[in-house]
Amino acid sequence: MSVRYAILGLLAQKPRHGYELRSAFHAVVGGEETWNVKPAQVYATLSRLAEAGWVAEEGVEQGSGPEKRIYDITPQGRQALEQWFYSGVAPEHQRDEFFVKLMIALVTGDVQPRRVIQTQRVFLYRELHAVTVLRQSYNLRTQLAQVLMIDKAIMHLEADLRWLDMVEGRLEEIQRQPLPEPDIRPRGRPRKVEV
Amino acid sequence: MSLVQTQNLTKIYGKGETAVTALNRINVQVAAAEFVAIMGPSGCGKSTLLYLIGGLDRPTDGRVIIDGQALEGLADQGLTELRRRKIGFVFQFFNLIPVLTAVENAALPLTLDGVPIKEARIRATEWLQRVGLGDRLRSRPDQLSGGQQQRVAIARALVAEPALVLADEPTGNLDTRASDEVAGLLRQVANTWGRAVVMVTHDPRIAAYADRIIFLKDGTMVDESRLTPATAETTAMWPGR
Repeated sequence: MSVRYAILGLLAQKPRHGYELRSAFHAVVGGEETWNVKPAQVYATLSRLAEAGWVAEEGVEQGSGPEKRIYDITPQGRQALEQWFYSGVAPEHQRDEFFVKLMIALVTGDVQPRRVIQTQRVFLYRELHAVTVLRQSYNLRTQLAQVLMIDKAIMHLEADLRWLDMVEGRLEEIQRQPLPEPDIRPRGRPRKVEV
Repeated sequence: MSLVQTQNLTKIYGKGETAVTALNRINVQVAAAEFVAIMGPSGCGKSTLLYLIGGLDRPTDGRVIIDGQALEGLADQGLTELRRRKIGFVFQFFNLIPVLTAVENAALPLTLDGVPIKEARIRATEWLQRVGLGDRLRSRPDQLSGGQQQRVAIARALVAEPALVLADEPTGNLDTRASDEVAGLLRQVANTWGRAVVMVTHDPRIAAYADRIIFLKDGTMVDESRLTPATAETTAMWPGR
């Protein structure tokens, strides 16, 4: 989804051919290592965008190698792009394995929830340390994309750590509550109730 | 051998029924050139631990050994000298003297120790240059940003070439950007300049700069964890240098 609009946006900047689009995308996101897009994906996306009428083939660049088709954005494409810019993006919703682990730890009752929490805390601190050290190695002037991405990772880790503190702080309260149990409904036809 | 060692370090405030155990039998070691963070909820005893290590307070029981020297055997005068020569302090509110320039502030531990003023100023200037304040030597604290003031405080902590730097919430009064700079500088103090750094913080982001975290709760050490090396996943997830 986002790759499609990124390509559209890069074409709004100026007409380009497929190979150039791929390099431009990598330059913007901070390198192939952060977000690799395969050439096939770029070409497939371009033909889908062309089918939708959002981009059009503008011409062919003749060089020493094979000829390269140059694409440009259409007015409909610009409209679609603008709509994308001015609409919200839902946060990626991940099923949180640690949350499940903690709940199951409380349900089984034969592990120490505080130790489960502390293990996770240390794991997150190691991640945070690694990205912090890595961030320091970046050049703030030339590697802004990487810095912005890593800042996002750092802030997410901070939030996870704060959440762990909160859970630990409320652990006794949680343990005093009855553990969630599913409503078991009898299978089959409901029994007749004798009046 | 560890540079810092505590043995069953205990601090109890008050007596009888109103006694409060701030620290309960803490055993920690800090190696030379190691960067250690002490973390825990407020009131967990983390500042008490730092003050006992720094000889700013005396334990109820147990002992602190700095560079082979047990602090309990020292009278107040000896303790003051050991602090001045072996330990540098960095505080949350910088504790700079308002009427003195950056150089004069950074030179203070030396001038108090009887080093001739000229030599003290030269050494203070060198440290101010290393912490990136070579162009603010004559500025007074009120002419510097919070981050710059804390860097003066770090230069002051290092000017007597101590083996150990103790920092109590060094970023507690700074915005995010200045906090990162100060934490990065403390990391440099350990990694580049080979001083052990022990830092108290409640901020996970700042603690993550350290090599190791000591977790305290209700005066007891609950865990102690190395943050290096990184996990394999992190290394795979992020582009290398």
